[in-house]
Amino acid sequence: MAAIKWPAAPTTYEDDVVLAFTIAAVLWSLIGMAAGVYAAAELVWPALNLDFAPLTFGRLRTVHTNAVLFGFAVSALMGTSFYTVQRTCHIRIFAPNLAWTVFFAWQLIVIAGAVSLFMGANAGKEYAELEWPIDIAITVVWVIYGVVFFGTIAIRRIEQIYISNWFFGAFILVVAMLHIVNSLAIPVSAFKSYSLYAGAQDAIVQWWYGHNAVGFLLTGGFLGMMYYFLPKQSERPIWSYRLSVLSFWAFAYSYIWAGPHHLHFSAIPEWVQTLAMVMSLILLAPSWATMINGIMTVSTARQKLREDPGLKLIVLSLAFYGLAMFEGPMMAIRSVNIISHFTEWTIGHVHSGALGWNALITFGCFYFMVPRLVGQPLWSVRLANIHFWLALAGVMLYVLSMWGAGITQGVLWLSLDELGQVRYGFNEILAALQPYYLLRLLGGSAFFVGAILMSINLFMTISGQRTVTVAPPTTSMRSPAPAAGTP
Amino acid sequence: MVLIRPQASFVALSEAHFSALHVFVRLALWLGMMPPLCAYVGMTKHGWQLGTVEPLMLPKVTIGVICALYFFALLFGFISAAIIGRWMAGTYGATRDLGAHFALLVVVGAPLVLGSLMHLYPDVFLNLLVLVPCLIWSMFLLYRGLPIVLQTTPEQGMLMASSMIGYLFVAFVSLLGISVCLWVYGIGPRLGV
Amino acid sequence: MNLMDWHRRIERHTGLLVFGIIAVTSVGGLVQIVPSLFQTSLSTPVAGLEPYPPLALEGRDIYIRESCSVCHSQQVRPLLAEVMRYGATSKAGEFVYDRPFLWGSKRTGPDLHRIGGKYSDAWHRLHFMDPRAVVPSSIMPAYRWLAERDADTGGSIQNRMRALQLLGHPYTDRDIYFAPQRLAGKSELDALIAYLQMLGVSRPEGG
Repeated sequence: MAAIKWPAAPTTYEDDVVLAFTIAAVLWSLIGMAAGVYAAAELVWPALNLDFAPLTFGRLRTVHTNAVLFGFAVSALMGTSFYTVQRTCHIRIFAPNLAWTVFFAWQLIVIAGAVSLFMGANAGKEYAELEWPIDIAITVVWVIYGVVFFGTIAIRRIEQIYISNWFFGAFILVVAMLHIVNSLAIPVSAFKSYSLYAGAQDAIVQWWYGHNAVGFLLTGGFLGMMYYFLPKQSERPIWSYRLSVLSFWAFAYSYIWAGPHHLHFSAIPEWVQTLAMVMSLILLAPSWATMINGIMTVSTARQKLREDPGLKLIVLSLAFYGLAMFEGPMMAIRSVNIISHFTEWTIGHVHSGALGWNALITFGCFYFMVPRLVGQPLWSVRLANIHFWLALAGVMLYVLSMWGAGITQGVLWLSLDELGQVRYGFNEILAALQPYYLLRLLGGSAFFVGAILMSINLFMTISGQRTVTVAPPTTSMRSPAPAAGTP
Repeated sequence: MVLIRPQASFVALSEAHFSALHVFVRLALWLGMMPPLCAYVGMTKHGWQLGTVEPLMLPKVTIGVICALYFFALLFGFISAAIIGRWMAGTYGATRDLGAHFALLVVVGAPLVLGSLMHLYPDVFLNLLVLVPCLIWSMFLLYRGLPIVLQTTPEQGMLMASSMIGYLFVAFVSLLGISVCLWVYGIGPRLGV
Repeated sequence: MNLMDWHRRIERHTGLLVFGIIAVTSVGGLVQIVPSLFQTSLSTPVAGLEPYPPLALEGRDIYIRESCSVCHSQQVRPLLAEVMRYGATSKAGEFVYDRPFLWGSKRTGPDLHRIGGKYSDAWHRLHFMDPRAVVPSSIMPAYRWLAERDADTGGSIQNRMRALQLLGHPYTDRDIYFAPQRLAGKSELDALIAYLQMLGVSRPEGG
């Protein structure tokens, strides 16, 4: 063993790149939400399309999903994973220059993606719309990201790899696998390619990708975030270490199967649909186990909880996580899917997850992390509390209006009259949805305003400050982990 | 009173002692009857209105059954939330007195009951428009009132309130799922499935 | 050795953790996704199905460019009311020349899989120029600029058809040679309408 050369004791953590990712994520959240709010307004007032191609609903919605998914969510995950992996491995990040490369390259990718989608370069697959040159760039940057992340784990000074890093690791590995397989295509020109798969087979591959992008990015990645920041904020170890081990592997195993529940009653083989439904129901167990583990971790903190507005957002986000994780499997049941599929209910479900869970937990972590990065207290706790209520009201308005709209659509589309004929015309039903679209716009706007308040709050906190230099604890080389489940 | 000055009435609530049975029989039952009654009157008079399409008129018996089910669903939600709350109380250092849990839920539910007057005109959108702000007001009351009425620290109360919201979400979505399944299997509106 | 002891090894070894994650997450894909890629019933065209002619192919690529599929599905489910509203249930064999598939996940507007032949070209033209002139409650954007743009401005139609030929679409060299002529003088709107009028027309027998 004597031959092994351990890296020199690190001086400080590389936190500048974390701060850069945080700022980028906040900006992308504003851009993405602005696009979303505008698209929502177009559904109420179609004249807002302005006869201007890039602003039409189809292109704008695609820009919206890409900006929030790849701009906001991925930047937030890259930033928090770098923050977490350094602190749980007690070492400065492996190759900080590469980390900065990831930062700049990723931002360029998202910008290029948004511009190309506005211009109409679109591969036509939901959440994988970017064309092949950008797809290749994503692959390259993702590999570098993986090298930095796993490199840091490999040179860690703590024996055990902390739970958060399993989730971040699964996020990095699985997203790479999904992205590469789903994006395979024959290029025609710089802005056009044709998928290697066709028709029903393409559908199966695409929803294997689409569902697991949600699974491993929006769920797995963010659970990594939760597993670090929740115990940190409540100053408690994870409630049950055993549960986190079991739920991690069960989650990783069962999520992958659930994709084809997006294709119920379609032309794909029946057994694939049924299997997806069963696995979706099984998935409820590990995802709820994780939630219980999180909520119990804060709940057992008998001593004073830190007066931190971030914690409130994280705890609320867990309630929405529980909702989305229950609703999803329920909508995967074929009898429910008959009504819910193709309706606004799906949109409501996605947003209870994306706004209620992903955005709120990220905001909560930022409220915790940013003051620590710059060594300043949060600029305004009061503003953060207003943000909490705006966010909660916004999501509730959004989700409830989409439930209303979705059930209206689902039931009226299929209603028959006394003679056994279709009862309502499609356009008659569409007209009935207008008020819900207005209500949704209101909810989305409230959430957006909350996010603006947060960015003001965070930028005022950061303003004029540099990141403070934090040195890792001076532990001996490869010291054993503190106690299982303590970040 | 509780709608105007929540803080003071929460303190008053926490000081008074209620027997669970008393709160249940004198308040919860009656308040719980309000929404189904309004719905019954509204649905028999105006029909079930889903936006611009023609209103759905149902036979009185069917409406009666739906409203009875509605009443029992509310009752179930009320009692189960109190029991869940009491079950969680140990974890969050709150009181396990069922009367206090009932009292809290009555207060928290008050805006929703008031909003349910809108059922008198059962237009789905108008109801949503009225009930969503009521719901947000209820959530506000829950976060504010829970630590006071159930006598725990504000931080623990915040956690417990979030857990309660989590439970209520799931209960509501289950109700949604069950109704949808019933419709698909032929109970309720006539669907071509 | 109990489960947690066994896990102590994984959580102390980067390579084992990486291997474990890849192994566990691959199973679902291998068992569920890969077999369907070799299932010929999913890749055999229904009788009478032709690959998209140049004008319709151009129209389909415009449909993709404008993300029409975020509001319009192309998948009629086997439900009574749905078949009455839209037409025969969609079959896998009708989509074998669809790269990518455009089934969509949302019906803000109606399903389009059986739209072909339902309305006249003139109706579609009017509808794209001003949707609310034809359907008062419509919330679809107007697509006036499509009428002003020539089809295939990039001149890539032959390359596109060759790429599809490579992937097994039965275009003949003659089809490809004459493709630019088929697009000459046509606008993007003409192409898009040509695509819509082809949708769901080659029905499986008995459909």
